[in-house]
Amino acid sequence: MLSYILRRVFQSVIVLLVVGLVAFSMFRFVGDPIDNMLGQERTQADIDRLRSDLGLDQPFVVQYAKFLRGAVQGNFGVSYRQGRPVSTIIAERAPATLELAAVSGFLAITLGIGLGVFTAIRRQGFAANAIMTVSLIGVSLPTFLIGILLIYIFSVELDLLPSFGRGETVRIGGWSTGFLTASGLKALILPAITLGLYQMTLIMRLVRSEMLEVLRADYVRFARARGLSDRVVNFRHALKNTLVPVITVTGLQLGSIIAFAIITETVFQWPGVGLLFINAIQFVDIPVMAAYLMLISVMFVSINLIVDLLYYAIDPRLRIDGRTT
Amino acid sequence: MFLRSSAIGLVLLAAGAVNGAAQAAEFKWASTTDPQTLDPHAVNSAPVLGFLNNVYEGLVRRDQDMNVEPALAVSWKPIGDGAGWRFNLREGVTFHDGSPFTAEDVLFSYERASNEVADTNSWFAPVKEASIVDDHTIDFLTHGPNPIFPGSIANWMIMDSGWAEANATTLPDKDNGNYATLNANGTGAFRVTAREPGLRTVLEPFDGWWDAATHNITRAEFTPIQNPATAVAALLSGDVDMINPVPIQDAARLKESDEVEIIQGIEARVIMLGFPHEAEALKYGPDAGQPNPFRDVRVRQAVAQAINVPAILATIMRGNAEEASQLVSPAMSGYSAAHSARPAFDVEAAKALLTEAGYPDGFSFGLKCPNDRYLNDEAVCQAVVAMLAQIGLKAELDAMPVRNYWPELREDNYDMYLLGWSPGTFDAEHPIRFLVTTPNPDKKLGSWNFGGFSNTRVDELLPLIQSELDAGKRQAMLDEVTQIVQDEHTYVPLYVQPLVWGTRSNIALTQRPDNFFILRWVSVN
Repeated sequence: MLSYILRRVFQSVIVLLVVGLVAFSMFRFVGDPIDNMLGQERTQADIDRLRSDLGLDQPFVVQYAKFLRGAVQGNFGVSYRQGRPVSTIIAERAPATLELAAVSGFLAITLGIGLGVFTAIRRQGFAANAIMTVSLIGVSLPTFLIGILLIYIFSVELDLLPSFGRGETVRIGGWSTGFLTASGLKALILPAITLGLYQMTLIMRLVRSEMLEVLRADYVRFARARGLSDRVVNFRHALKNTLVPVITVTGLQLGSIIAFAIITETVFQWPGVGLLFINAIQFVDIPVMAAYLMLISVMFVSINLIVDLLYYAIDPRLRIDGRTT
Repeated sequence: MFLRSSAIGLVLLAAGAVNGAAQAAEFKWASTTDPQTLDPHAVNSAPVLGFLNNVYEGLVRRDQDMNVEPALAVSWKPIGDGAGWRFNLREGVTFHDGSPFTAEDVLFSYERASNEVADTNSWFAPVKEASIVDDHTIDFLTHGPNPIFPGSIANWMIMDSGWAEANATTLPDKDNGNYATLNANGTGAFRVTAREPGLRTVLEPFDGWWDAATHNITRAEFTPIQNPATAVAALLSGDVDMINPVPIQDAARLKESDEVEIIQGIEARVIMLGFPHEAEALKYGPDAGQPNPFRDVRVRQAVAQAINVPAILATIMRGNAEEASQLVSPAMSGYSAAHSARPAFDVEAAKALLTEAGYPDGFSFGLKCPNDRYLNDEAVCQAVVAMLAQIGLKAELDAMPVRNYWPELREDNYDMYLLGWSPGTFDAEHPIRFLVTTPNPDKKLGSWNFGGFSNTRVDELLPLIQSELDAGKRQAMLDEVTQIVQDEHTYVPLYVQPLVWGTRSNIALTQRPDNFFILRWVSVN
């Protein structure tokens, strides 16, 4: 077990280093930050001076090495755009993204599993068919469009919910939360639905098909023959056995909820790290881009690791395999 | 607590109780770009200077029609025989923190803004020295006579020397930031009460402001909203009271709404096509490597005559822009009224010119274009490509984000390019200095003259224009340069970019051609 974890951690570090190297080799294709940083009346001398100050005249490998040296000490550099430490900026923005991701993830998992089970059990019912049809919207419409549609309906036409932003936030230590104010909660609704809809339909469809599979299994029929109640059969025996693939997908989707919040955050002007990243690309703010990409890859790698370990816990067969390999 | 008053379409967000009297005067606005710093000397860009004009003030300021008027200086006059300018400063002015405004602060701000690490230092290139005469008088000695100096420093903002020293921000630091990046202490009509970069900035009126307030705002909040569709929705739903810009394609639709108003104007920015004047050979397309046809003035004239600017304005700009005949718009000082006509749109004449130049069948080349810098820039370039095709010029369009665009132009990677120019001084001398004179890094001339155009007469005239005190003689020289630029077809000016702002219908405000949003001209009805 321990050697397995160590091996996985070692692999993860390699993955991170490669991600960073690829990222740094790509940055010069994103564009040149110099023109954004200097005004219209700059001279060639100003351009050359700034480029050498920022180390942009050096090969990307050197820039990457410099970044890594700082990063291992927790120093991600200073944002070109804001002139403030990147770590401070990300710490300011992270709560917005994490709260949004938590709410969307919660919605996606609870509604996804609930509706999945429902549509599997009542698969001929009108309601189940209606849900299945509507869920097609969730998987096929792009997030961007869903967000705009929701804004148009609920903010512009019905005037019920705010069209952008996070509402009022309350600071608790270094964390700014929108959970404690009415405007903060209202502001969460539309972005959370937009961000979670795709994941919700995905989980729902997955749970449904797994459930249908399991409900045909012999042990379910025997359970029914033993006279167990529907609830016990459906939830204790059937649902539990559908969960291994669901956990895999959910875990990875949780990562993408955070990583792909970019689009939702842009549509709703949600002040999280995704929006920060989009701004950084537009401005060619290399320190922010680098830190964001590294954080996201650390997150994906850790989620993968945790999912692998969860298998270990849930599925006893893997434990035997693990010992033999 | 979340209150909404649909009658006035205004949203008030407050954690606690909301003062009823404040309702009519709470104002929220959104724009695509957040000012990247609050330091008025760190970055010379329109979003920063426009925003800070509400917080800081200069010796002079521009009124609603762009005329220069007194601000922190009550009067100014030339001294010696063109030796410089003397400014008499306003008495009784205080900064937001209560400290008094004196000549000491002006001298300090001059030294801060003209330092080589300051982005604004080019404004002070003509200045030899600043010296304090008394507490409320200061002299600026210039290298030569400089008639436009007072107008050229309208965006130079005065910072309190004591405040800057106490907070260790005596010089701007763009790379690492310092206290002035996030905090402000000006003399302006509004003071910054909250600043969260990229999220929101809150302004409140400054009680001790020296001038009479004409606005009725008690609190103003700025939010950057990048996505145009979101900004339009926020305006329609009343979450913000004003947005800048409104996407051109949405303007017509918004005009029909009772709840919002569209405010249109002409920006100071002229959009033009530029050529390689020095390059030996074409660089793109099947004819790459062939001698560069754009060195021939007849070819450049053919391009100018082949482009149907009214058609571009009617379709792509939806009638919101005006044709341009020279490098500045008619709203700028020094505009040459005698040269207000564009070359006539005439496909046959253009073809004849090409034949005369030795290209009866045209040729192919590469057109470089930004796709996120000017309004509908890529669409304009596509239209240019189609129009040039009619005279046999086959342009390969390469459109890219502006962050990749300037490096390409600096590397001379183009056969033709699109450029927009907004003169920071609102004077016709500005584009001559940056776009038309022979590039000369030592003298800081021609730094945006990518094509390397060079004309000895223009080079002779520029210093004379810069130092001529007689308005009539100066205009005659500007006219002469305009004539040369038109005859040579150095650039092909296309149109003056439109300004399109959207407001809730209960908002009255003034739109200035430099696209600066001045909060003290806003009233909420």
